[in-house]
Amino acid sequence: MSATTLDATPTPSTPPPSRPVPSATPAPRRRRGALRSERPGVRIAAWATVVVCGGFGLLPVYWLLATSLTPRDQVFAYPPRFFPAAPTLDAFAALASNEQLFVYLRNSVIVSVVTAVLSVLVSAYMGYSFSKFRYRGRRSLMYLVLASQMFPQALLLITLYSVFSAYGLLNTYTAMVLSFTTFTLPLCVWMLKGFFDTIPDELVEAARVDGASRLRIIHSIVLPLAAPGLIAAGLFAFVRGWNDFVFALTLAGPEKQTLPPGLVNTFIGEASTAWPELMAASLVVSLPVAIAFIALQKYLVGGLTAGAVKG
Amino acid sequence: MTSSQTHTLEHKRSQEAARRLSDGQFAVLLLLPGVALLAGVVLYPLVAALVTAFFEQSLVLPGRTFVGLQNVVDVLQGDFLRLLGQTMVFTVGTTVLPFVIGFALALALNTRIRGAKVLRGLMLIPWLVPGVVVSFLWMWIFNANYGVMNALLQSIGLIDEPQAWLAQPGTAMGAVVLAKTWQSFPWMMVMLLAGLQTVPVELHEAAEMDGAGTVRRFFAITMPHLKGIVGLVVLLEFIWNFQHFDIIYVLTGGGPAGATQTFATAVYETAFHGFDLGKAGALGLLWMVLLMALVVVYVRFSEKGEKR
Amino acid sequence: MSLTLPPALTGTAMSRRRMLQLLGIGAGTAAVAACAPSAGSPTGAATAASAAAGAKTDFAFSSWSFTEEAAAPALEAIVAAYQDKEGVAISDVSFPYNEYINQLTLQVKGGQFAGAAHVDVAWLGSLAAMGKLQDLSALAEGRGYTEAALTAAQYDGTQYALPWTIGAIGLVTNSELLQKVGVENDAFPATIDEFETTLKDLKKLGGGLIPYAASTKAAQLKDILIWMQTFGSPLVEGDTVTIGDDASVEAVTWYKSLYDQGLIAPDVDRFDARSLFAQGRAAIYDDAPVGRGAVTEESPDKDLASKLNPVPRPVLKAGDTPRALVWGGAIAVVDGEGAATAADFAQFATSDLDTVLADYEVRGLPPVTTEALESDVVASDTFGSLFSERITATSTTNPFWAFTAYSQIETEIAEQVQAVLVGKTDPKTAMQAAGEAAQGLIG
Repeated sequence: MSATTLDATPTPSTPPPSRPVPSATPAPRRRRGALRSERPGVRIAAWATVVVCGGFGLLPVYWLLATSLTPRDQVFAYPPRFFPAAPTLDAFAALASNEQLFVYLRNSVIVSVVTAVLSVLVSAYMGYSFSKFRYRGRRSLMYLVLASQMFPQALLLITLYSVFSAYGLLNTYTAMVLSFTTFTLPLCVWMLKGFFDTIPDELVEAARVDGASRLRIIHSIVLPLAAPGLIAAGLFAFVRGWNDFVFALTLAGPEKQTLPPGLVNTFIGEASTAWPELMAASLVVSLPVAIAFIALQKYLVGGLTAGAVKG
Repeated sequence: MTSSQTHTLEHKRSQEAARRLSDGQFAVLLLLPGVALLAGVVLYPLVAALVTAFFEQSLVLPGRTFVGLQNVVDVLQGDFLRLLGQTMVFTVGTTVLPFVIGFALALALNTRIRGAKVLRGLMLIPWLVPGVVVSFLWMWIFNANYGVMNALLQSIGLIDEPQAWLAQPGTAMGAVVLAKTWQSFPWMMVMLLAGLQTVPVELHEAAEMDGAGTVRRFFAITMPHLKGIVGLVVLLEFIWNFQHFDIIYVLTGGGPAGATQTFATAVYETAFHGFDLGKAGALGLLWMVLLMALVVVYVRFSEKGEKR
Repeated sequence: MSLTLPPALTGTAMSRRRMLQLLGIGAGTAAVAACAPSAGSPTGAATAASAAAGAKTDFAFSSWSFTEEAAAPALEAIVAAYQDKEGVAISDVSFPYNEYINQLTLQVKGGQFAGAAHVDVAWLGSLAAMGKLQDLSALAEGRGYTEAALTAAQYDGTQYALPWTIGAIGLVTNSELLQKVGVENDAFPATIDEFETTLKDLKKLGGGLIPYAASTKAAQLKDILIWMQTFGSPLVEGDTVTIGDDASVEAVTWYKSLYDQGLIAPDVDRFDARSLFAQGRAAIYDDAPVGRGAVTEESPDKDLASKLNPVPRPVLKAGDTPRALVWGGAIAVVDGEGAATAADFAQFATSDLDTVLADYEVRGLPPVTTEALESDVVASDTFGSLFSERITATSTTNPFWAFTAYSQIETEIAEQVQAVLVGKTDPKTAMQAAGEAAQGLIG
């Protein structure tokens, strides 16, 4: 377990940059990751893995795509056709003309983005406190943060509903953002704590000697150094808000509804399910995030690299 | 944790005196937003829900009566052990399988094979498809009468007759675990891939020159570097899966004949269909105790391992 | 549809005070933990009736159909018509069908919802238990509601909702397929034995045809209750559950034999049954009138609509009355802001002739007033009239609906029946266990 590794006094692998630190990029590290040359055996094994595990990952995605291109009256044809006989973009066209979906989309974007930002901020403070200070109960609290995920959500939901109701927060973005942020804390806090562990104490101390306030140190030295970690944590938090169904459904009310409940509401009716449209919509909402991931990959990987991973 | 202790940065107290807050107070201040969120969104509702374990209370009827440990006793006398067993099968399965697949893919995509970058992105899609759609997609794939799984396996000759994957006690749990695995392996892959990036290449190169094979280097160099991240993702995944609900619920509704019922579906069933908040709370209470115990054991165990 | 757009983010950001309050609660008192159940105030019929005559106010109307492609236009038209007529604004509330009752329960319990609510008649018992539904009996008079429809929307003798679209769940057949085995439209097997013979004949047609796409997934296995009643089990007498009696055991034994012979198929719920039927892969299935649209729309056979033939459920011995389960939608009124106008709206939506007929054109769901039922539009719909004549006419409610935990009771029974189907236990043991479990939930 990472527990003790995380507590170990970090070995500075980066020489402290001269201060004041401008919105810093970490100094070049040792080369890590893939080997320059690989044995043929390794390549074969790698390809075999990609084919088997990748097939498992991508075949259902293909099925999602194939279904979204199938006309409604052929969706249930048996045996199923691996390649739609008469592919159509009807389902996608239907999405574009459904204004309500854009409302759901906007709600989802707002909730997920705010969740990501808030989660990163709160976790950064918490992670920094866990990383750079020593006090009684610190370890217990760290585990308590993890333990907060252990409770059955159905029960949590019922009481959470009355809590938000009592404070007039039902049917608001706030209720969703607060809940999702809380649910992302365990991973984000632990991840960022690990990241801060790798920032040398000397760096912080030097800034203090210079008279920088502690909050300023966090904001203008530590956070910029940890930028990749923040992005990684933020992406995770974004996806948590993006994917949630039951809390969004219950806390958001009809007008603030996000995409997952919105999609169900729109395409899964009392009598039938609009499979092609549902699948088309799922693809449309997951692709932009996948592309963003590919674009942000180097930050993401960099962030995780120095973060929880390393300890 | 309120009292301040020592600071890792041992330095002049004179500088400190000028500041309004001690380090300890500052450290606590930093914790406040997170602690407040946890208290408001998890702790308070949690205690409120646990308290119902001691009452006879309905979701729809007003009022409640104190019944002591009656609910807990009822739950323990019911099929608690079977639930526990099935929950463990599901949780362990959905933790180990995504880990194995995610790790294998991470290792494969950490090599320089062509297209690794794009594949890393594509592999994320299962994680990004809205969870509720994942359930419906797999329900559809596994369906006995028109599912593509049967068609695929029949066309390659693995089965002769269409199988009711979700309706046979022998296959239902496996099917549910597979669907959940599909949803969570990308997350595992991303985290482990990132972990692999921290392994210094020089170490591998040096070892290679000393004649160490791929497998040996994997255990001697790669694994030790990954210990931290592996511990974290496995623990989190375990906790999340323990309370995972929607895929099971949509795919099998806990069936056939209760073969895929877990604590999470049982709690939902009891609270929302039986409206019995007391019994649902009792289930939650037992669950909490169990999981806490498991985590404590896990932490103790892994810390011992570290100290040696 | 009057869609209120969400205010900008800034508009909903909560005040700092609120935030502090919210955060404060965690810090302190876990002891106050009770999610205090809000006591319902019993309301008399007088409130609704008198206020309905007074000034009209804005109110909320919740339905799962507001976002459903096929049904939404019908609801929007009704809402628009009422808004024009009375000059009030109706805000619509929508949840997915599968989540609807849970969400409505939470909302009503938390005092978050007041107004008109579209409900399934099966839910009335548990909703009424919360004590917030108005008694609408004063509004039920003089509007020409049929007696059967009014009864379907009552719980414990009180008119907790106005019936809207009341029908039943019965057997729907594909007449083309049945004619292939020599069964004409008006000569469906009357007894269970004849029925089974027909199923076997259908099976012989081959091609993977599922003779009867009966429900076998847990979620819909409650369909077997009507067969238990057909075999002669009352299910409940007073407060005593009779499941476990000979009739219920025979019913399950018979169901299991159909399953083993491949006359019914595994892994089927209502949605699957519709899809299989639409594809021509099932000859018979159980459905309510609401399924017609879905089945015809999903089918590659554009003539399927003309082949749909509702038939009476076979009986144990010739001469028995065919059993059918009441199915339907009603509009209930939840106490609170705008409730009086909401009650007036409920009456308008369910009994105003023009409104009801326009609704019928879109949704095709059986109306509830004599006037509407006798109108040309409704009477000339062959499927609709056959359905009500052969199925709805003898339908009865599910006796478990009278208990708040009916949904979990049905689940417990379904689980036991499933255990029989997959061969884990025998019908007698299973039904005794189911009966005990159900009894325990009734208390």
